[in-house]
Amino acid sequence: MIRKEEIIAGAKAREVIAVFLFAAIACAAMFLDKPHGVPIFVAALVAIAVAAVFIKRDSLRIAALLAIVFLSAFSIASNGVKFGIDFSGGVRIPVLLAQPVDSTTMEEMVNTIKTRAASFGLSEVKVRPIGDSEIYVELPASSPQLVSDVESLLSKQGVYRGIVDGQVAVKGEEIYTGTIMKIPSQYLQGADWGVSFTVTQSGAQRFATVAKGKGNYPLFMYLDRPADSIIILTEKQLMADATNKSRVVPISRSRALQLAQSALALDGDNITIYIEEEISGNFSLSPSTNKTRAIVTAGSALIPKLKSAGFGVVEVADVEMHPKYVTSPENPLTDAVTSWKAVGLMSAPRLVPSVTEGIPNFSYTINGPAEGSTAALKAADALKKEKELESLLKGGALPVQISIGSKTVIPAPLGEEFLRLSLIGIAFSLLAIAIMVALRYRHLQIILPMLFISFAELVILLAILGSFTIDLAGMAGILAAIGVGVDAQIIVTDELLKKENGEMRKRLEKAFSIITTSVMVAVVAMLPLLFLSGLVEIIGFATATVLGSLLGLFISRPAYAVIAEHLFE
Amino acid sequence: MQLTAPNPYSGNYKLLVIVPILLMLVSLAFIPSVKRGVDFKGGTLVTMQTSEMVDAESLKSELSAKGYQVSSAKSMKNPSGYEVEVEIERDESLTRAEDLKTAFFEKIDEVSRLESDVTVSNGSSDAIAKYIEARAAIDKTSDELFMISGSSLKASEVTSTNDLKTKVSEAYRVTIDSYSAKLSAMLSTLVNYESASFNEVSASLSAKFIDKAFMVVVYSTIFVSIVVFIIFRSIIPSIAVLLGAACDIIIALGAMGIFGIPLTLASFAALLMLVGFSLDTDVLLTMRVIKRKEGAPRERAYDAMKTGMTMSTALMLSFLCLFILASVTHINTYYEISAVALAGLVADLFATWLLNGPIVLWYLEHGGKADEEHKPFLSSIFSN
Repeated sequence: MIRKEEIIAGAKAREVIAVFLFAAIACAAMFLDKPHGVPIFVAALVAIAVAAVFIKRDSLRIAALLAIVFLSAFSIASNGVKFGIDFSGGVRIPVLLAQPVDSTTMEEMVNTIKTRAASFGLSEVKVRPIGDSEIYVELPASSPQLVSDVESLLSKQGVYRGIVDGQVAVKGEEIYTGTIMKIPSQYLQGADWGVSFTVTQSGAQRFATVAKGKGNYPLFMYLDRPADSIIILTEKQLMADATNKSRVVPISRSRALQLAQSALALDGDNITIYIEEEISGNFSLSPSTNKTRAIVTAGSALIPKLKSAGFGVVEVADVEMHPKYVTSPENPLTDAVTSWKAVGLMSAPRLVPSVTEGIPNFSYTINGPAEGSTAALKAADALKKEKELESLLKGGALPVQISIGSKTVIPAPLGEEFLRLSLIGIAFSLLAIAIMVALRYRHLQIILPMLFISFAELVILLAILGSFTIDLAGMAGILAAIGVGVDAQIIVTDELLKKENGEMRKRLEKAFSIITTSVMVAVVAMLPLLFLSGLVEIIGFATATVLGSLLGLFISRPAYAVIAEHLFE
Repeated sequence: MQLTAPNPYSGNYKLLVIVPILLMLVSLAFIPSVKRGVDFKGGTLVTMQTSEMVDAESLKSELSAKGYQVSSAKSMKNPSGYEVEVEIERDESLTRAEDLKTAFFEKIDEVSRLESDVTVSNGSSDAIAKYIEARAAIDKTSDELFMISGSSLKASEVTSTNDLKTKVSEAYRVTIDSYSAKLSAMLSTLVNYESASFNEVSASLSAKFIDKAFMVVVYSTIFVSIVVFIIFRSIIPSIAVLLGAACDIIIALGAMGIFGIPLTLASFAALLMLVGFSLDTDVLLTMRVIKRKEGAPRERAYDAMKTGMTMSTALMLSFLCLFILASVTHINTYYEISAVALAGLVADLFATWLLNGPIVLWYLEHGGKADEEHKPFLSSIFSN
């Protein structure tokens, strides 16, 4: 039997107090640093599990389980449980890559899609990489218009424009896309990276005319520059980069506004800048045509006013509204806005005077320095910049061929109903197992710990999977994990109930050698599905079952054994 | 719920293997009739929400009359009304369009470079000849795609390769879009639906799924076999354990054929999980019988069976809940996973206790020796 003194002594042990203290600190960290709530939760969980596995103390095993359950419950409350569109409603469009890509390329592709989605005004689109050969594009609403916008965004290329001093100098369609390539390092002549390309006859003529006499001017490189638009910035957004702490000489407000305005200049299609604070008091804007769009911070109070004034509204996330500046005190002529996501301004290289003499030229190169403290980081940065530029010149083309996979549409009310029923299903599953265990063992002191552990596992699993996304397959996996979880406890219990078979410790060891073996085999059978296949449709299921097995092996079974051992003594 | 059945291993237990072997043979006969779901076959799965029951059979014949190859049509009730599910086979022109598009994009960069050579070299005849030759090849591909898309455009009318590229992407999209649009327009005349979702799996996507699934099966088999051999370190018990798992999967596949559970990604995942479940009881039995010394082997096998049955019951209950949930919600993922798991768990009872059990006992009673109790690795973690 469990004696009271034992519990008290256990609870007072240093390692137990340490574990609970650690869990409390982790919870506080999760609460204070919400954006990093998930990584903190996962790290804390792994730390406690490792401690429990390697410091073999009975009190610690129980404490670790309790601490992890506490941590998980807190995470569910603080980080929330994220459900896939199967449960929340929406549309999922999987994008399949023709071949697997490395993580840098994947990141670049995700960013390209995000950037293009933002320039279409689709800021609520979620883009996430799945494995190495798939990307999920998810929309919370299922309007057919939205879906077709996203599909056309994925299948059509963007429009590239290079603008010098308010004139289009380079058009994407006048670049031979097959000639866009990175320059081998031996030809770089001091730069860290470079991309070359060849333009058509008319392209060469256009550049020669427009760039004539514009040496050292910035070439504003736009991807899907919004036509017939205005942009409404807050003071803070305009000055965010201008007053950045790392800047040696801050840029004055008037200079910042001047630079921003000149980046947006284009003959016949200027994008005018308005400052939100200046116009919100006395709102009198009206669109110049019936298609004029206003680019504005997502959630801004001006949106209803803009809409009623007849503007099409494009909502953009705050950070994408910040213009980024580059200045050089020695040569103020080269000062410019170098990137501004909200309007599709991706980069602004300077024109070398030798190409601005007005003579048509077919081949051009763009090169520049890379950043990074070590040679390896520098090389990686150079590669990234090269790839970004290649993709930009190709009109936001993705580096590998893509195809659009099977689209899933779930109406929101149906999704909620699915979730409600699934949760009821989980409750019933727990209940059914409780009844079975009760009929089989008929002792409350066996049944209660078993059920407690099953419930604890459920909470931990929900917290972990919910930190990412629970989809249908994941939910099915959670249900399966409940059954799997109770299995190992049955092995332990049956082994301990066989009183005639030698001492307790020996029997426990035997039980654990069986459990270890079967968990190992079950996990190994699922591993190829989890790590090699990239079959994302069912990865949630594989993750849930594998996680369920591992959680049991490392955390809850040892704790259950400690409890059971005391019960049967 | 105390297990009071007599010890099945007390008599001539060798005869017990007849049951699982017969079951396996029957299952083998049904495996070819396992239907491949959209995931593995390609095609379009349309799910429509309706306010009233729709006659699936008449819908099927009406669609067939309009030239669609319908592989299945189901009608059912779900929490928010009624649901009709129609599975339409992949249209051949779509598959062809996809191949053409892929072929085009493989060559376009090269052609674009050759085109720029013509410009840069100021129209040297050599460069022109090379460009024309390469261009002719992609023109042919493009023309076929334009034809499928219903456009009267000829590739030779498009001068620059950049334009051609845009036109080809467009033609491909038009092909796909017009197929879906035509299908949904057609369905809306036949069914008065509130909302419809289209799940389209292209030929290349289903080919990819098959490749990956095959790879997963190969790797899983190899890894699991290695682990089992490391743990048991003797041939016969290892083979017995693996045989138990194989038997389980075969019977489960047979059940899929008999009950019409389609092979989809979800049921595939469930089959892989069954490997784990099946090995769970196999390992329990084999370890209790071979690695223990208390009592007679037959007693130990019987003991293991009691524990194993309890475990299987727990799992079955979990999946029964999922199965009931599936029949309420009509979520295919739930249905496929739970049905396969239930079939497999039942099969596992035969595979483990009537096949694996007798083999292990026979091995032990005919010269195989009970192992020294060596610890499997990782077990040191749990010892004190």
